[in-house]
Amino acid sequence: MNPAHEYHQLQNRRQFFQGAGLKMGGIALAQLLGQRAMAKADPAAQMHPAMPGLPHFAPKAKNLIYLHMNGAPSQIDLFDHKPRLTDYYDQELPASVRNNQRITTMTSGQKRFPVAPSKFKFKRCGESGIEMSELVPHMHSIADDIAMVRSVHTDAINHDPACTFVMTGSEVPGKPSLGSWLSYGLGSENQNLPAFVVFTPTVKNPSQALFTRMWTSGFLPSKFDGVKLRGSGDPVLYVKNPPGVNPGDRRAMLNALGTLNQKTFERFGDPETQTRIAQYEMAYRMQTSVPELTDLTGENKKTLEMYGPNVQKPGAFAHSAILTRRLIERGVRVVQILHRGWDQHGSLPAQIKNQCMDVDQPTAALMKDLKQRGLLEDTLVVFGGEFGRTAYCQGKLTRENYGRDHHPRNFCMWMAGGGIKTGITHGATDDFSYNITRDPVHLNELNATILQCMGIDHSRFRFPFQGLEQRLTGVEDVLPIKALLA
Amino acid sequence: MDYSFGMNSFRLAMVWCLAAGSAWTAPVEFNRDVRAILSKNCFACHGQDAKKRKGKLRLDTADGAFASKNGAAAIVPGNVSESELWARIHSKDPDEVMPPPKTKKPLTLEEKQTLKRWIEQGAKYEKHWAFIAPKKSKVPAGAPNPIDAFLQQRLKREGLKPAPLAKPETLVRRVYLDLTGLPPTPKEVDAFLANPSLEKLIESLMQRQSYGEHMARYWLDLARYADTHGLHLDNERSMWPYRDWVVRAFNQNLSFADFTRWQLAGDLLPKPTLDQQIASGFNRCNVTTGEGGSITEEWIYRNAVDRTSTAVEVWMGMTAGCAVCHDHKFDPLSTKEFYSMYSFFHSAADPALDGNKLDTPPILRVPRPGDEKKLAALDAKIKANEQRLASAVAEIKYTDPAAQSPLPKAITKETIWIEDAVPPKGAAQGNTPWKFVSKPEPVFSGTKASVREAKGLSQHFFTGANPPLSIESGTKLFAHVYLDTLNPPKEIMLQFNNGTWEHRAYWGGDKIDWGKKDSVSRRRMGDLPETGKWVRLEVDASQVGLKPGAKLNGWAFTQFDGKVYWDKAGVSSTTDPAKDSTLSWAAWKARKEGERNKDLTEALRKRFKGKARDKWTAAEETELRHHWLARVYAGAQKELGTIKSEQADLEKQQADIRKNTAVTFVMADLPKPRQSFVMIRGQYDRPGEKVSRNVPAFLPPLPAKPKARDYNRLDFANWLVDGKHPLTARVAVNRIWQQFFGVGLVKTSADFGTQGDLPMHPELLDWLAVQFVEDGWDVQRLVKRILTSHAYRQSSRATPALLKKDPENRLLARAPRFRLDAEVIRDQALNLSGLLVPTVGGRGVRPYQPPNIWEPVGFASSNTRNYKQGKGDDLYRRSIYTFLKRTAPAPFMTSFDAPSREQSCTVRGRSNTPMQALQLMNDVQHVEAARNLAQRILNSGVADDHARIQWAWRVVTARQPDAAETKIITNVLADHRARFAKDAEAAKKLIAFGESKADPKLQPADLAAWTLVANLLLNLDEVLNKN
Repeated sequence: MNPAHEYHQLQNRRQFFQGAGLKMGGIALAQLLGQRAMAKADPAAQMHPAMPGLPHFAPKAKNLIYLHMNGAPSQIDLFDHKPRLTDYYDQELPASVRNNQRITTMTSGQKRFPVAPSKFKFKRCGESGIEMSELVPHMHSIADDIAMVRSVHTDAINHDPACTFVMTGSEVPGKPSLGSWLSYGLGSENQNLPAFVVFTPTVKNPSQALFTRMWTSGFLPSKFDGVKLRGSGDPVLYVKNPPGVNPGDRRAMLNALGTLNQKTFERFGDPETQTRIAQYEMAYRMQTSVPELTDLTGENKKTLEMYGPNVQKPGAFAHSAILTRRLIERGVRVVQILHRGWDQHGSLPAQIKNQCMDVDQPTAALMKDLKQRGLLEDTLVVFGGEFGRTAYCQGKLTRENYGRDHHPRNFCMWMAGGGIKTGITHGATDDFSYNITRDPVHLNELNATILQCMGIDHSRFRFPFQGLEQRLTGVEDVLPIKALLA
Repeated sequence: MDYSFGMNSFRLAMVWCLAAGSAWTAPVEFNRDVRAILSKNCFACHGQDAKKRKGKLRLDTADGAFASKNGAAAIVPGNVSESELWARIHSKDPDEVMPPPKTKKPLTLEEKQTLKRWIEQGAKYEKHWAFIAPKKSKVPAGAPNPIDAFLQQRLKREGLKPAPLAKPETLVRRVYLDLTGLPPTPKEVDAFLANPSLEKLIESLMQRQSYGEHMARYWLDLARYADTHGLHLDNERSMWPYRDWVVRAFNQNLSFADFTRWQLAGDLLPKPTLDQQIASGFNRCNVTTGEGGSITEEWIYRNAVDRTSTAVEVWMGMTAGCAVCHDHKFDPLSTKEFYSMYSFFHSAADPALDGNKLDTPPILRVPRPGDEKKLAALDAKIKANEQRLASAVAEIKYTDPAAQSPLPKAITKETIWIEDAVPPKGAAQGNTPWKFVSKPEPVFSGTKASVREAKGLSQHFFTGANPPLSIESGTKLFAHVYLDTLNPPKEIMLQFNNGTWEHRAYWGGDKIDWGKKDSVSRRRMGDLPETGKWVRLEVDASQVGLKPGAKLNGWAFTQFDGKVYWDKAGVSSTTDPAKDSTLSWAAWKARKEGERNKDLTEALRKRFKGKARDKWTAAEETELRHHWLARVYAGAQKELGTIKSEQADLEKQQADIRKNTAVTFVMADLPKPRQSFVMIRGQYDRPGEKVSRNVPAFLPPLPAKPKARDYNRLDFANWLVDGKHPLTARVAVNRIWQQFFGVGLVKTSADFGTQGDLPMHPELLDWLAVQFVEDGWDVQRLVKRILTSHAYRQSSRATPALLKKDPENRLLARAPRFRLDAEVIRDQALNLSGLLVPTVGGRGVRPYQPPNIWEPVGFASSNTRNYKQGKGDDLYRRSIYTFLKRTAPAPFMTSFDAPSREQSCTVRGRSNTPMQALQLMNDVQHVEAARNLAQRILNSGVADDHARIQWAWRVVTARQPDAAETKIITNVLADHRARFAKDAEAAKKLIAFGESKADPKLQPADLAAWTLVANLLLNLDEVLNKN
């Protein structure tokens, strides 16, 4: 609504109140404003309206769940089965394979680049026969619901720039995250919760850093920042009243505040004052909706069991996973879980096992839970890290123990849900999982595909900043990956 | 409903223009009307970037557009039907039509009409407005302040009038917040009401420290200042002296020209002052990494790109980022030109990787405020002591033992260190305190001995003794011990500290397993001595790894079980006086020069370095002999001991201050510059054509190159502020304008290029820019000019008609009204509550922050992983002094749109979110501020609720509340009171929130009720906004 129109409306409302005197008191006004803010019919009342003209076309997915495995999970030990590596055990990675490509300075000084085959057994899963290793037994059961992409590649070779790239489409800090782009473009249907929610579950050994830039809004207005649902302390920052203050006190305060701010609006005529009144009401509603969201007492036992033993533990991946489902149920646009600890330069087999114990069962459970509630058909799920790992060993190599360095040239991600073909494997790599041999998917293309599913033409989804029509997908022309689209 | 971002103001300007004249005859201006259309729709393929150019057609220059190819030209001036461009934009053939359908940028009808009229009128091209030097146009008549003259001329054209003046209460609060970031007190409001001279008020506020702090804040966003490196581990970096310098620079009203030179090239100024060097840290504020595995060349490249792009954006308002990879599609900046500027920054001496250190070189040690005074005072004392020492030396009747006949016999020198007390400055410690006893308990010498009785391992020790105990060759360490006959220990140990404790000697059983057995860190000296008598223990310094020259600052007496007395301890050595350089002047003179020099002061060392003994003059020999007697000679302990130990103490104090001085990153170039190349497609490992330092061709050239050297950063800085540069002054003036009016005269304040918005009031912008230069780049004068304008002083009331006509308030028919910035909101709350601690400067402090802001993102090994909240004053400092960790900035900052400082930020967003509401209602720092404000209200001396409400309202808004407002507060106060009267526990809990203690004289229920009222007041829209 344009500000002038809104002003007129409020002028009329003011006359109404003047007519009624203050007999109705502040409560009535606040309630009225509160209801107004909740009413869907009035777009100005929406907390998270979509941009005009968006979505560009009918979306296949309304919501996005992005499970980011931070630190770069080893594709060779999880999803990119390379049986021939066994023949090359402890032999030099052929020069023709390495092809003088750059490697990090953590291994560039190594005298040898001995091939380290995965010690884990692989299996063809489901009817689709998608290959996965024994590390993720629960994911075996969702194979027919996903599309496995084995040929994702990225530009950066170190964590910081690569994490920034995977989430913002740029290695240089300052660009909006994927979730911020989506909440900016599409808004959210839930008026009592943020449009974009982020979890950063606790892990035993936080050997990798996360950066708030992975869920903040960069050059977009900060209201499109991802809001963290926290494992300890207030689940949402400052959502709890101060000690000794109860909801009734807050209501009384807000009623008075609403009335006084309304008078301020009358004095200055600034439409932002109206927005502020509505935002305080939204804050009040969040004080109820957030505790309700995190209260698992209504979940049935079978569902809880499906997510595994840590489901009730705030801060655990499993807990984040079930809350993710509850958020999606409530119409929250984007939920992102960033799970740390996947940077296995050494002791890879033991460490990756622990990591998988954290995420395998809850991830599979989340998929099944979404499916059984009919939510998967319009929710897009993405699972993956910021780059892959090398076929050659970093540090000492034995059959049972090895480490792997960073490898941006290919890695695996999987996608599922709204708009995505099921049960397919896309792309392939050479025998060493070192070079892509078929259907490469650059992260910009992956992001274009995500936007496509969400009803957005990535090439038209722009924001002017620093002299450029900025896009999530970069300046180069890319296309969504058709083969992945249902 | 944020201020909408984007580029609509140009369109807006155009619509007005059409509305003003007759749409079909009004002359079309290329810069105003046409360029943006071509830039948005055509230049990507038909512009500056030669590589991306399609069909060899370029539309950004007249030559390109008018060129005839195969008998046709894209534009034939004056002839629309002959112009291929016109045909193409109307073509129905998808292969022909322009812009091509796949760009999804169709032209609007209005845009097509503008192009048509432009061609009809002759298709005149103009150089982009911002690249032409500004000129002052004649100030229109009608208003005393030229700002108003220009603005009101435009308003008249629009059929509008400026708003009436704002109420004085509104204005005074506006000015205080805008100049100091803090609201006025009621007394200050009264003073202004009594004497409403705005000029005087502005002048006095500019004298305040808070002015510098507030102005600095905006600059720090541009400089991307923060307290951590920003990437990967995101460890702490010491950069805050730069932040404090920015505050100082604004307080001193440093001219913007010098402000520029110092920051870009302070290190290159002749004999740079401390401040000039600190300022050069601007170039070091970029994010850096220390991530393992990073490739050196990549980060040298990236750091240089960041520094170049930032300088270009901050001073030239241009986005150079695009030219990193390809010729700028829209602006005339070529890739080669970008790398020519990059070359100024490419030879920076800092390492590619920051090493995750606090003090990544090059650094500067900066004395803290007060340190210089302290150092000077110590200097004076040291000088006075030198005098005392000189007189004492003169009293010494010295005969050189080497000159005696017969030569004296060997003697034992003994230095007693521990006798009846811990030596000077030693910090006595132990698992239980030191215990001294006197006779009749066993005492060996002096009046006391120390004693310890223990089960198992036990010890007493000291560290930090000064002067230290020197070890020479042949030194023996000794101590006297008495073991109790009835309760003897199983083991005794002496430990010596020269920085580490890895020097241990023990007697008896090997019960204490410190150090490595049978090594200097755990040497067995023999069995336990006989009990019931004093025994002297001796250890050769070499046995415990103490080399000549070692200095001991600590000593430990350690035992296992039993009761042990210790007494007189120190060092002894046997020496031949005639050959000992600490006893014989001749022996000292005979030493090698290098050995002698070690005993000299720095000044003496410089003078005597390389000068053979036989070249000393008689005067020099006397001088050195005096120095030797004063500093080296060991035979005058009695005469000189006290003075010397005092002197050592003073010198140590000085050294400590120097050691604890702040470190700040500064800029410096490598002695041998790096060669710079165009980096193909912006890839660090693909150097192309070699480039040399230069500025872009579409801007004025650098002066002639000096003969003796290449151009450097100082030339670049001077070029920016020589007064002829078309961008620098405009960009600076526009940013200051933006600071006060919320939107710049050029809305895209970081982009003055062809993709940016056109200036809303071009003549005004140019007039201000030229005047700014003529005024000697005087920032305060510019600010004063803006703040005394009617445009600034008028009412901010928006009427529906005005909102409709000018929603973004670009015409300024009303004053701006917008939400205060993150820092101002917090500082205001602290200030109104009386909690604000005005201490200036220093290392970043850590105020309240909820748990788990840093931890869930931080690396286990990062030194900024765990947030350790400060105490006391640290909680209440101004927000500019809050420690800024880039990967997880404080929520009170980010929720209110403060940038993470990962890159330069020219304009902050201004969002309005429920997260802000939650924070202002519930965050401990705001609730504590509310409670302290409540205490002020209750202690204000006014008796009844009505008067208190009047008082409080005025404190927070600067004005009196009206009857309705008073009534609302009265009612809600009654509600809260009734509630807390029923729930005393709740009241107590609420008023106990925060570190400051509730005033015990006040009734908890009453204070709690007023706390919620104060919480309400601090959340008023009127309080959160500049009105």
